[in-house]
Amino acid sequence: MSNKIISMIRKELIDAARDKRSVMAGLYYAVGAPLLMCGMFFLLIGQLTSPEDLNIKIGNAQGAPDLVKFLSSRGISQGDSEDTKDIQLVISDNYAANMAKGLSAEVTVIADASDEKLQISIRRLEKSLQEYSGEMGSLRLIARGIDPRVMQPITLNVEDKATPDSKAGMILGLATMTMIYAVFISGMNLAIDTSAGERERNSLALLLSHPVSTWEIVIAKITAVTIFAMVGLVLTLIVSKFAYAFVPWQELGFAVSVNTSFMVMMLIIGAPVAIMAACLQLFVSFMAKSFKEAQSYITIVLMVPMMLAMAASYNIAPETIQWLPVSGQLQALIEFIKGRELPLTQLAVSSAFTLAIALSLAIGMQKSLKSEKIVFGL
Amino acid sequence: MIQVSNLSKRIGDVQALNDLSFSAHDGQITGLLGPNGAGKTTCLRTVFGLLKPDNGVAEIDGIDIAKSPVSAKQQLGLFPDPFGLYERLTPREYISYFAELNGLSRREAKLATSKVIDKLHLADIADRQCKGFSQGQRMKTALAQAIVHQPTNIILDEPTRGLDVMSTRVLRDILRDLKNQGHCVLFSSHVMQEVAALCDQVIVMAEGRVVAVGSPDALCQQTGKASLEDAFIQLIGTDEGIAA
Repeated sequence: MSNKIISMIRKELIDAARDKRSVMAGLYYAVGAPLLMCGMFFLLIGQLTSPEDLNIKIGNAQGAPDLVKFLSSRGISQGDSEDTKDIQLVISDNYAANMAKGLSAEVTVIADASDEKLQISIRRLEKSLQEYSGEMGSLRLIARGIDPRVMQPITLNVEDKATPDSKAGMILGLATMTMIYAVFISGMNLAIDTSAGERERNSLALLLSHPVSTWEIVIAKITAVTIFAMVGLVLTLIVSKFAYAFVPWQELGFAVSVNTSFMVMMLIIGAPVAIMAACLQLFVSFMAKSFKEAQSYITIVLMVPMMLAMAASYNIAPETIQWLPVSGQLQALIEFIKGRELPLTQLAVSSAFTLAIALSLAIGMQKSLKSEKIVFGL
Repeated sequence: MIQVSNLSKRIGDVQALNDLSFSAHDGQITGLLGPNGAGKTTCLRTVFGLLKPDNGVAEIDGIDIAKSPVSAKQQLGLFPDPFGLYERLTPREYISYFAELNGLSRREAKLATSKVIDKLHLADIADRQCKGFSQGQRMKTALAQAIVHQPTNIILDEPTRGLDVMSTRVLRDILRDLKNQGHCVLFSSHVMQEVAALCDQVIVMAEGRVVAVGSPDALCQQTGKASLEDAFIQLIGTDEGIAA
C-alpha cells in the first residue's frame, strides 16, 4: 500500500476519533445492543421456563388429600388470591370410599372450554389428573400381583435429535444478528462524515486538487470506515461476552456462549461484510447532496441488510438466503454457534458475493469522484 | 509556468469559459482580474483538473493536466476558495498531511511543516484544532498547505477575501517572497488595489474570455486612464459587478 494511502487512512482515523458523533455512534451500539438483547432474553427465558403456578378452586379438597398433594407438586393448587383461574375441580363425596374399594372415584372439572385463555390451563390440569390416575392404576395392579406393564402394550420412545444449542434457533439468530449488525452501525457516521461531510466542508475539492488518484482516495476511505466498523464489532463482541454470561441460559438447556473461537470466527466472517458496509455507506453518501440527505438515504438503504439478517435469524427461505450476502454469513455463524459444521460452500459463495458488491460500489465511487456533479454537488 | 490554451467550458446554460488562453510565468505574480461571474474560479478549477474543459488544454510546466493529472498536480499548490480546513485537525497535522499527499515522507513532511509554520508565524496556533479559528488564522493555515511542498506553481483563489489589513500585508509579503524565489504565482481577484500592488502581469477576464493582458501600468497606458480601476472598467466595457 502506498504511503499516500497510509497517510490518508491515518488522517481519517485521527479525524474520526476526534469526532464525538462518529465515536459515539459505534459505542452506543456496541454497549447498548448486547445489553438490550440480554434484557430481552431475561424476559423471554422467564416466560418460557417457569410455568406459573396454576391456581384453581378445588371443591371438597379434604376428601382427597393425596390427589391434592400430587397436584400441588405439579404446581396446581387451591388458590384464593386474585389470579385464581376460573377452573373448578370438584371431588365427589364418595371419592375416598370408592378409592378404598378399588372402584372408579369421581372428580369433575368445571370450566368454560370456549375460553381460549383457559385452554392451556385446563389441558394441564387434565394431564396431571391422567397421570395421577395412571399411577394409582399401576399401584392397584401391583397390589393384585399383576405386572402393570400389561396395561402398556406399546412403549413410546421419542428420540430427540436436537442438541441443546440447536433448539435455540431464533434466540441464537437474534443474538448473532445484533452482533454482525455492529459493522453497519459503527462505521456509518464516519462514512457520511468523510464523504458528504467532506464535500459540505469544501475539503473534497481541495483533496482532489492534490496529486492523489481517485483510487487512492477511495481505498483510503473504505479502509478507514472498515476499521471503524471492525472496532465496533470487536467492542460488541467483548460486551456480549460479558453480558451474555449473566443470562440464565441453563434454564433453556442451551447457551449463547461468546467464546474465543466464536469471536475469531465472527471477526473473520464479519470482515467482508464490514468492507461491503463501508462501500455501501460511502457510495450512498457520495451520491447524497448533504450530510442530512446522506443520513436519511443510509437509514433506508440499511433496511436491506437488516432484512437479510432477519430472514436468516427467523429461518425464512433458508435455501435461498444461505447464498446471499449478510444472510449467508449469518446463517453460517448460527450453524457454528449451534455446534454444527460450517457450510463452507455457502459461506464462500456469500462472501464472494459480498466482496463483489463491495468492489462494484468502489468502482462506482471511483468514477463518481471524477464527476464534476458529485465533487461540487452541482 | 502555467499555460492555458483555448479553454472552453459550458456549465449548464452558461458559457463559463470561452476560448480562454493565457500563460503565467515563473518568477512573476500573475493576477486574474475579472468581475464576479467572469469565470475566474472555473478557470482555476480547470487548471487543477477538477473540471474537464469541453475544449482546450491546461498545462503545468508543460504537463497536460488532463493526461497525467497526478504528475501535473505535483507541480501545483492550491489556496482554495473556500479554504476546506479539517476542523478537528491542528494546523500542524493539516499541513503535514497535505505535504505527505504530495509525496514527502512522514519525516520530510514534519520538517517542511515546521519550516512553513515558522515562516508564516503560525507557531502559537499550530497545535490547536482549527475549530474556531479566525479568518486570518484560517488563511495562514490554508496558505501553509499550499506552499509546504515547495511547488513551482502556486494558485490562489481570491486570497484576500475577508482579511484585515495586517493579514493582507502578511499575504502580500509571502507572495512577493515566493516570486523572488522564482515560483510562478497565479491568483484570481476582483480587488484592484491588490492586483495593482502585486502583479507583474494582469489578465483581465470577462464572460470567460481574456479581454486584455499586460502589466498594471501598461493597461493604464493602453486605455489612457490614470488608475487600474478606470482602466478595468474601460476594458470590460461595463461597470457592472465590480466590488473594489
